[in-house]
Order: sequence, then C-alpha cells, then structure tokens
Amino acid sequence: MTQLKLVSIWSGGVLLLAGIVGILESGAADVFLEATRPDFQKISLGVVGIQNGGGPDWLGGRIEEVLKKDVKRSLVFDLVDLPSLGIQTPGIGNGTGNGSKVILRQAAEKGVSVLVWGKAGMKGLDKDADVNMEGFVYDSGSDELVGGKRYVGSPSVVRLMAHRFADELVFRYTGEPGIARTKIAYVAEQGSARELFVMDYDGYDTRQLTADGFLNLMPQWSPDRRFLIFTAYRNRNTQDIDMIELATGKRWTVISLGGLNITPALSPDGNFLAFASSHEGNSELYRLDTRTKAIQRLTVNPSGDLSPSWSPNGRELVFVSDRGGGPQLFLMSSDGSNVRRLTFEGDYNAAPAWSPRGNWIAYVCRTNKEYKLCVISPDGQKRMQLTTGPGVDDSPSWSPDGRHLVFSSTSDGKSQIYMIDADGKGIERLTFQGTHNSAPSWSPAS
Amino acid sequence: MSKTLSICGLALAMSVALLGMPGCSKKSVQSGGDSQSTQGMSKGGADGSKSGVGNFPDTGVQSEGGGLRGLDKNPSEERVGSGTMLAKVDPSSSAGRQMDEMRAEQAASAAAGLRDVFFAYDSWTISEDGRQALTRNGDWMKSNPSTLVKVEGHCDERGTSAYNLVLGEKRAKAVRNYLVELGVGANRLSVVSYGKERPSCNEHEESCYQQNRRGHLVVKTRK
Repeated sequence: MTQLKLVSIWSGGVLLLAGIVGILESGAADVFLEATRPDFQKISLGVVGIQNGGGPDWLGGRIEEVLKKDVKRSLVFDLVDLPSLGIQTPGIGNGTGNGSKVILRQAAEKGVSVLVWGKAGMKGLDKDADVNMEGFVYDSGSDELVGGKRYVGSPSVVRLMAHRFADELVFRYTGEPGIARTKIAYVAEQGSARELFVMDYDGYDTRQLTADGFLNLMPQWSPDRRFLIFTAYRNRNTQDIDMIELATGKRWTVISLGGLNITPALSPDGNFLAFASSHEGNSELYRLDTRTKAIQRLTVNPSGDLSPSWSPNGRELVFVSDRGGGPQLFLMSSDGSNVRRLTFEGDYNAAPAWSPRGNWIAYVCRTNKEYKLCVISPDGQKRMQLTTGPGVDDSPSWSPDGRHLVFSSTSDGKSQIYMIDADGKGIERLTFQGTHNSAPSWSPAS
Repeated sequence: MSKTLSICGLALAMSVALLGMPGCSKKSVQSGGDSQSTQGMSKGGADGSKSGVGNFPDTGVQSEGGGLRGLDKNPSEERVGSGTMLAKVDPSSSAGRQMDEMRAEQAASAAAGLRDVFFAYDSWTISEDGRQALTRNGDWMKSNPSTLVKVEGHCDERGTSAYNLVLGEKRAKAVRNYLVELGVGANRLSVVSYGKERPSCNEHEESCYQQNRRGHLVVKTRK
C-alpha cells in the first residue's frame, strides 16, 4: 500500500517535471534548427598553418591536416582557402608582430571571421620525446587575439591534440563540446568471427576490443562512454547481452534470459536498459531498471518487436514492429503506454535512431528494393531520404551534436562504414580495411 | 492520474511476479565470452544477479564539458593523454576452442547427412523441398535418439542486421516445430538465430542469397 502511494507521488512528480523539460527542450531545438538551416551562415575560418618548431618534417603538416578536416566536419565553420584569397601566410609567429598584423587585416577585409595558426615541435631529439603544440585564434570581428592553447604529449597523441584544439574552437563559438574527440564502436569480421572494435570518429586509431572467435553484434555506448553493451553468444548456442569496460577489457553478461536477446539501448541517464528478448515466445521489448534489476515488459504482441531507441529526454522510445506485416517504426512512452505507428510510407522501415537533439529519427527505409537511410520527425510530419543508389545501408547512429550520422553500407561492395551530414550531404567513407565492417555506434561527447 | 497509477501498479506487480518466479531466480548468469572474460564476469556479474540479470555499473554521466578549458590569452600547458583508455585485447584461448568445436560439429553433422532447409525472401514458411529434407533429418534423429541438435536460422544480406536476427529465429523455430510434429522430442532441439552474420556465401546475387536463407542443423558436441 505504501508502495502504491509512493508510485502515485512519483508519477505526479514526473508529470510536473515533464512540463519543465518540455519548455527547456523546445529552446534547444530552436538553436539546432538555426545551425542546420540551409541558409545558416557558417562562420568562415582560415587555418594559416601549423609551423614546424623543431622536430620531424611531418609534424606541423599532420596537425594542420587533421585540424582542417575537423573544422570542416564540425559544420559550424566554413573552412576558407587563404592562398586562393591572395593571402600569403608564412611567418605569422605568435600573431603580434607587424607582418602578422598585415595578414590579419587582409583576412578581415576578405571576410574571414576567424583565423587560426600555430606551431608544433618536439622537446628533444629522442623520437619518444614529448610533442609541443601551440594554437592561436584571432577574431576579425573584434580585431583581437581571442586566445590560444598549449598542449604537450607523446608523439602518439598528435592527432588528439588537433582534435582537442578543434573542439575548443567549436566550444568557443557554439558553447558545445564538439565531436572531434568522439569515437565510433563497430563490428569487424575476422575469419568467420565478428569482433568489436573502436576507432576515432574520423576512422583513425582502430582498436580491437573482443577476441572470442564468434559473433559479437550491434554495440551501443553507455552514456558515460566507459562501456559498450552488445549481443553475444555463449558457446555459440545461447544469445546473451554483454557489457565490456573499455579501459580494462573486463566483460560480463548482463542479460541471460534464454531465446533471442538483442538490440540493447541504455537510457540517456543510464538508469534503464531497453532491449528485445524472445524468452517468453516471440521478440518483445523489455525495460530493465539497472538499479533494482526489475524487468518490465513493454510490448505484448504476437509479432516481432525490436530495436528500441530512446528519445533524448528518456520519456519515449521509437522501435520496430512487424505487427502490420512488414517492419514499421512505432513510438511509445518508456513505460510501454501510448503506442502509435510513426511510418506509413514503404513496406520496410527499421533500425531507428533518435537524434540527440530530439527533432529527427534516422532509420533504414526500403525503396526500389534497396535499403537506404531516411529521417522522419517524431510527429511524422517531415520525412527525407538521405541516401540513394544500390546497396544495403544499415545501423544509422547519430553524432552527439546531431549534425552527422554514421552507418554501414554495401554500396562499394563489401560492408563498410560511412559518415554523412544530417541533411544527406558530405558522405565520407571511414573504413577501408577488412572484409566486413558494420553496426557503427557513435559515442556520446566527452 | 488514476490511469498512470494503474499502469505503474501493473508494472510493479509484473516485475514483482517476474522476480518471484521460482524457475528464474535459480538461473545464474554465466560468462558471455567464456574466455579470459569469465573471470571479470563472475566477479562483476554473478553475485546479486536476479532472473538472469547481471550487475550494472553506474553509467550515468558524471561530468560535462569533456575537459575543455576554453581559449586563454596566456595559455598554460595542458598535457594530452590518450583519450579514452582502451585495454589491449588478448588473443584468447576461446577463439581457438570455438574453432575446434565448430569443426567437430561440422564433421558430426556431415557424417549424419543432415540437410539444410531453404526459405523464400522474407519468409519462414517451410516449402515442400524443406519438408522432404526435414523428414530425412527427423528419421536420422529418431534412429539416433541420444543426439542433440541445434537449429540455426540464417538470412541473406538484405535488410537490417537486427530485423534479420528476428527473422532467423522465426526460421529456426519453424524448422524445430516441424521436426517436433514429425515426432522428434522437443527437448532434443534447441534454436538459435545468427541473422545475416554467418553467411555461407558472400556474393551480392540471388543465387547466393538463396543459399544463405536457411535453417541449418548442427549435431551438438557439447551442451
């Protein structure tokens, strides 16, 4: 009785909270719409260069190349080519000399809002000596040296220095942490096995996480980026849901109910795990309270229900059900109530992923017998197809800033991993090695 | 309000019922990787697990901002570490053992002459050819009553990984159900879906897809 009373107070609190969250969210959505509108004015940014200040010849150039690609991918900046504007860029130094003043004035006259330059070198002659990097930022609007960064680290983290500096630039101009230091977890084939790997968001620095010689499938990140949760097979016979800790490689089983146990998804606050399981017959959705370990069944239906994805506020789930024949997307409250169908176009819509901004749901749509990426607004009013052409696209996963998707595609033959802007532009292939790379999952921002 | 209350109450009752189920509470969690990970698993998972649920760490976000300190006119030196720490993976003995076991299973299944059952696109209905194959498989199982058989459900590469796992399970269950109809004991049959993750043929064409849409029977060499 006491429990029931508590529940009623609790749900009242949730309703009240829901109102507040709703208001806050609509504000955030407006900001996002502004930043992704077709006429959104990107901030023009020129990278003067990262000079070598002692050390191997490649050092400055490497950092500059990584930084420029990060700046471009941020979609916050428009990377301008300074030489093509007639701005010659050697010897800017620390930006305070007379020669550098000329460069800065020229750039401002050509409409370049932000100029970035820097210097990188090694602290000693030893090849393991620390690398130093300095980066400076000049804002032509306020005609001032905004500031800079000084990094030091081993030669193995040179790319990370560039990523970190890029994220500082995004942070400076948007207040968001940027995505240059995010990672992508994925599945790669090794012989007949499929193992989990993690790479940087730009496809570099791949690391293997599992090596059990069988199938490890569809990894998803924990909100704190410390763990992956995924589907695995015990002795090839029993399907479980496992977790692995990235820092230690420690791995254990979290769901072992018998039957099919797939598509795990942790809620944004980490307090709930939604997943599909067939341990009571056919594939149904369940919600586990990760603190009490109580399991709540969310769907009751003779058809297959799977692939839950949380709304950013954790109050709703989008999922796949073939209750109408073919697979379609449905929405429901995270307690299983208020189920309604979201997709009506086409006879195959699956693998939904709710944008961290909340305003789009990406999914796989079948058109002309090909499996392509689509996005739909949660109210079903807006729908867009992002990819075209032959091949099977699968497993869309959003960048934490909601401006990109990563997905797998067989459009080049074997399944490989690609990045695409949320408006369907700027497709970039990320994996080139191996016979099969799939099921990418983009980490939250750090 | 009263509706919310009753839904919550029902949910509460359901979870209590689930936790209280005698069959469930006995089931302990075992390792997923059954390899070097076994240790980590038993340490982290087995104690305090309920109903086949292992331990959950707190995965909520502790801090925001990602360590960005902002630009500074007089920046002090920041040391850049390797970012997210990633453990080095040990090539485990598990991979070799799984390979050996798979070879043993394949040999036993080939010796038994067990036949695959093939399915139409997006379908888990057993065809006339499939019924003939299963009649032979069923006869073999009845004349070898001590054997255990695993029915694997497989799919072609079209469609999503997740939905194909569900489809593969439907195929495996259709095969199992037909064998049970033929008089094979249900307790001798287990089902597992591999979706499109273990294709027998890797080309992007229908002749290949056809071979991959299958129910594959394997003689189990270990429980």
